[in-house]
Amino acid sequence: MKRVVVDPVNRIEGHLRLEVVVDEATGKVQEALSSGTAWRGIELILKDRDPRDAWAFAQRICGVCTTIHSLSCLRAVEDALGIEIPKNANYIRNIIEATQMVHDHIVHFYHLHALDWVSPVAALKADPAATAALQNTVLEKYNLNVKGPIEFDTEAYPKEFPKATTVYFRSIQDKIKKIVDSGQLGIFSAQWWDHPDYDVLPPEVHLMAVSHYLNMLDRQRDIVTSHVVFGGKNPHPHYVVGGMPCSISMNDMNAPINTERLAVVDASINMTIALNNYFYIPDVLAIGEIYVKQGYIDGGGLAKERVIGFGDYPDEKYSGTSNGDFHNNLLLRSDGVVENFVQGVDKAIFYPFEAKDLSDPDVLTEGVEHSWYDYPEKDKDLHPWNGVTNPKFTGPKEGSKTDWKYLDENGKYSWIKTPKWRGKMAEVGPLSRYIIVYTKVKQGIITEPTWVEKMMVDQVDAVSNMLNLPPEKWLLSTVGRTAARGLESQVMGYISKYYLDKLINNIKAGDTSVANTDKWEPSTWPKEARGVGLVEAPRGALSHWVIIKDGKIDNYQAVVPSTWNACPRDSKSGYGAYETSMMDTKVKIADKPLEILKVIHSFDPCLACATHLYDASGRELTVVHSDPYLRL
Amino acid sequence: MKDVESLWDLFQKRNVSRRNFLKTCVTITGILGLSPSLISDVVSAAEKQPLVPVIWLHGHECTGCDEAFIRSQSPFASDVLLNMISMEYMDVLAAAAGEPLEHHLQEVMKKYNGKYLLAVEGAVPLNDDGIHCMVGGKTFVHNLKEVAKGAAAIIEVGSCAAWGGIQAAKPNPTKSVSVSDVVSGKTIIKVPGCPPIPEVITGVIMHYTLYGQIPPLDSKGRPKQFFGNRIHDTCYRRPFFDSGMFVEKFDDAASKAGWCLYKVGCRGPETYNSCGNLRWWNGLSYPIQSGAPCIGCSANNFWDNDPFYNRMPNIPVPNAIVNADQVGIVAAGALTAGVVIHGALSTIQHKRHHKETHETENDNE
Repeated sequence: MKRVVVDPVNRIEGHLRLEVVVDEATGKVQEALSSGTAWRGIELILKDRDPRDAWAFAQRICGVCTTIHSLSCLRAVEDALGIEIPKNANYIRNIIEATQMVHDHIVHFYHLHALDWVSPVAALKADPAATAALQNTVLEKYNLNVKGPIEFDTEAYPKEFPKATTVYFRSIQDKIKKIVDSGQLGIFSAQWWDHPDYDVLPPEVHLMAVSHYLNMLDRQRDIVTSHVVFGGKNPHPHYVVGGMPCSISMNDMNAPINTERLAVVDASINMTIALNNYFYIPDVLAIGEIYVKQGYIDGGGLAKERVIGFGDYPDEKYSGTSNGDFHNNLLLRSDGVVENFVQGVDKAIFYPFEAKDLSDPDVLTEGVEHSWYDYPEKDKDLHPWNGVTNPKFTGPKEGSKTDWKYLDENGKYSWIKTPKWRGKMAEVGPLSRYIIVYTKVKQGIITEPTWVEKMMVDQVDAVSNMLNLPPEKWLLSTVGRTAARGLESQVMGYISKYYLDKLINNIKAGDTSVANTDKWEPSTWPKEARGVGLVEAPRGALSHWVIIKDGKIDNYQAVVPSTWNACPRDSKSGYGAYETSMMDTKVKIADKPLEILKVIHSFDPCLACATHLYDASGRELTVVHSDPYLRL
Repeated sequence: MKDVESLWDLFQKRNVSRRNFLKTCVTITGILGLSPSLISDVVSAAEKQPLVPVIWLHGHECTGCDEAFIRSQSPFASDVLLNMISMEYMDVLAAAAGEPLEHHLQEVMKKYNGKYLLAVEGAVPLNDDGIHCMVGGKTFVHNLKEVAKGAAAIIEVGSCAAWGGIQAAKPNPTKSVSVSDVVSGKTIIKVPGCPPIPEVITGVIMHYTLYGQIPPLDSKGRPKQFFGNRIHDTCYRRPFFDSGMFVEKFDDAASKAGWCLYKVGCRGPETYNSCGNLRWWNGLSYPIQSGAPCIGCSANNFWDNDPFYNRMPNIPVPNAIVNADQVGIVAAGALTAGVVIHGALSTIQHKRHHKETHETENDNE
């Protein structure tokens, strides 16, 4: 047995520490611990602020999934104040969100995850001519033949396409060689490049993928051009409560949005769709197939048992979230819980998750058994809205308070609390959304799938055919979690185009409104109001909660995807998603736990999101004790 | 630093002609906004200056500044990372994790002692001995001080590192402070912004790698070439301000016409940043152009200058209007007076805040 610490975990947002105990003889992970090691207290900082400013504060929870927290916040504030945003604002927000999803997923795959699978050192052994031939084969073979609805087809031919020439790959290879020869590897330094798993892929795949790493590093910024046009910048584009600040006019030369601005967004979306279709999808499927065919189908973990989602992309206007209207016309109905997908879609069990469940103290709870907090009644979990935060830092098992050796898996070991659904753990993320939508459609729970849901099912079936495996055999793995993110990126590219088409049609119909300012002035607000905003964020189901009293924020809470996934264990509920997945992964060399990095990276960890919640000084975070937070 | 290559070395290794090398230098001179007379300086700097090792640390942050860094187009982040600097430690992009990465950090600090550039993203939480941000089992404040010792210079990337940022906003639960609050005796370059404009981050790095010296700074430590003017000074909507043509509420006719956003809270008149001239995505837009008032995200303590939609005379603004340079003070003073006059001409709103504002202003003086 060997206990190995990975801290800091690299290529993530925030600060994460992992400790695993590996049986060196069998490679089995006997024990695995995930710890969030930092927090900032943004919810406390939001208290007493103007609710119209809240989106800017909440946005800074995370700069990677930038915009997602502001969107969730705006939905919560607008839900509380009863503000219905105009059609155009809904379309524009959906474009911003969907392009953010693609951006986040592409940067994750190429820049935060690829180096677990791909090595620049291995790329040196590739034959550039063979790599060019491989690139052609990959483009021919790994095409899912799915396409979203495109009304205004503005692109004459694919502008973004992988280069498949010998000279190109040779020049990339020469550059890598020079870096390696110089001895200054920079960002490529110190990795376990001699790990046997880097031999799974042929050298030509390494060279192709390293080329795409560089190519996508230069292209990714153009995916979020819509944020700069509609919100003025990225990261952290601007919004306004009640809609968007970017007024539309075809009669004013200085208008924020006119035809030229929409053309800039359109070109960016066309490029985004191409990056998915010609780079991301072929690359993730080519690499995934090789791994699956060599038997790498571990790492599924908690997804086998239970996944949860909230649903997103309101197709048209909605009057609120807490009244259930948000869920009435969603394009992506990933709301619900699915258990037991591991037995196959027929035997999977679906449970609805509805707006009323959010306020039910028995449905959503948080525990602190292994978190650095105390609860008033030991062993009694609390609904997030009744939660108290009494920090109780207990230090590590070995080492000192400020210099840790090992954390204590039997005691408290993380700043992340443990969220539960009906007392149980659940995984969130793109994989969860695919499992939920696939199950709902195949079991007939969704009788009329939207084009998005149909595309998701078609993608899963196409990949299953390609691999000649049923979905539960490949989806529930490290590869599957990574592949689901790629499939989702492809869908999100088309969602952006779909809402741009709707925006153009609505402007054509004479509607240029982007903001509803009827309730802008605090004098129009109720004395007290409560609201919730739901988003399917890149990393999974996200909810923001706000209480507004006398025109100011009285309480603010966010329950974020990486809290669900990265949480510490619980004696009654078992292990969280990170920990379960690590224990469902085989480690070849205990000192070089590449497989652990790979499976944890497959979740796309976002730790500032997960751990921003808690108050340092022992003040209670929530003001509500006796009365349940929500009376939806 | 004989192990380290200059830009010219790299061009030679890539078999790129001298002519192309010189062309690149001309382009770089333009990007940095330097006078054409300095081209020969850029050429000699690029020939002689070895690639600079960079260590990039993360404290209390949201990773938005790393994202901004990789959004840079001139230069591309790929060119910065592979040809202009040697990014020896940056956990967001590093291939390696855990012990090998931390070991590598120690090696780099030894090998390049006194020669590496330290970029810091994020604030430094001091509460409870700094345990609210642990990296590699140690406190961030400890790691920062260790790495800072051997740094040639330090860049505070973003408003969190430069001022403390959002976690330092009231009530600052983690007692977060800026890097310069805990590190002394070093040259520190402040590159504020939430996040900074991508080309501002890479521009500062490039300036250093080309010249081997830090860019000229103002008294607060900000590079003058990027923070020498207020957004208001270069704002394309400035003529509407001067003509008294204002947006009164969002999406009104004035919003569609693109008039000045001052009355809906724009912080452009007090915020030093390059949004008005460089803009985002190499000139595509910036918040004001997209119809959104500036929230002053590169200004010290801007989070507590809320509510953001209250127009400026009602907002306490410590330090933001004052430039260390005497000329700056005069210009800013004159402009502030202009702002106040515009405010006075408008319907007086938010009377409730008025008294508080004056009190706070006095406190800050």
